[in-house]
Amino acid sequence: MQISVVQQDHVTVVAVVGSLDALTADTLTAALQEQVQAGHTRLVAALEGLEYTSSAGLRVLLGTLKDARQRGGDLRLAGAQERVRRVLELSGFLSILKSYPDVPSAVASFPA
Amino acid sequence: MSHAARGAASEWPPPSGRRLAVASAGRADLAAVRAHVAAALADADPAVRDGLVLAVDELCANVVLHAYAAPGGPLTVDVAANDATDDTGAAAVCYRITVVDAGPPFDPTSVAEPDVSLPLDARPVGGLGLSLVRRTTDAFHWARVDGHNVVTLEKLDPRAPSSRSAIP
Repeated sequence: MQISVVQQDHVTVVAVVGSLDALTADTLTAALQEQVQAGHTRLVAALEGLEYTSSAGLRVLLGTLKDARQRGGDLRLAGAQERVRRVLELSGFLSILKSYPDVPSAVASFPA
Repeated sequence: MSHAARGAASEWPPPSGRRLAVASAGRADLAAVRAHVAAALADADPAVRDGLVLAVDELCANVVLHAYAAPGGPLTVDVAANDATDDTGAAAVCYRITVVDAGPPFDPTSVAEPDVSLPLDARPVGGLGLSLVRRTTDAFHWARVDGHNVVTLEKLDPRAPSSRSAIP
């Protein structure tokens, strides 16, 4: 799994490529926590390159979502593939996380 | 439920369809477990295959995270396909996956289902893995046999025979 972080305007875009499981989830937790601790709480998880996630990945997203919202921000998803969308849907995550078709629309969803 | 669980127990050791055996399983083996299940289900409907890959990953992640501390323990994953019929009586395939570990007795089917309709603040972080196992399979059984946890998953694939057969 690879993670890259880019600032776009007032939003932090964290791109995740590869597979999220019980081995790799800790790396993403660390990357997202680093952003939240630095005050970057308007977050977009760019998932175009995410081929797979288990519940370990969902735990990371949920934990980060709670932290970001507590600090007045949010975590929003962009570009999730069908296979990943299905796992999000099965676990009820699409009702608590905002999901967008691509990164530009997710970034634009945050007020300036 | 209990009938199928007895069935699983009576077939110990599990029938080896396509077997992956890991002597000292850890988190780094989960990718190989997923690849094994995906390869064994190459003919299956993609949604069935994805669901079973996820279910087995969740079960094995529980084993390596909770049952085995370092340096890990034995884990086997068997994938078998059996002829079956769907609700309409049409020919189908029933996939049966057996996951065996030598950890302390633990019945994953007894874990309470989390409420996925809860609002964000009321939701525990975690507890979702076994819920996903239930949602992606038709049957989910556990038995304790000869010092091993034997977990059996079943999933009916109505499309499998037609996708494999030639023109009738």
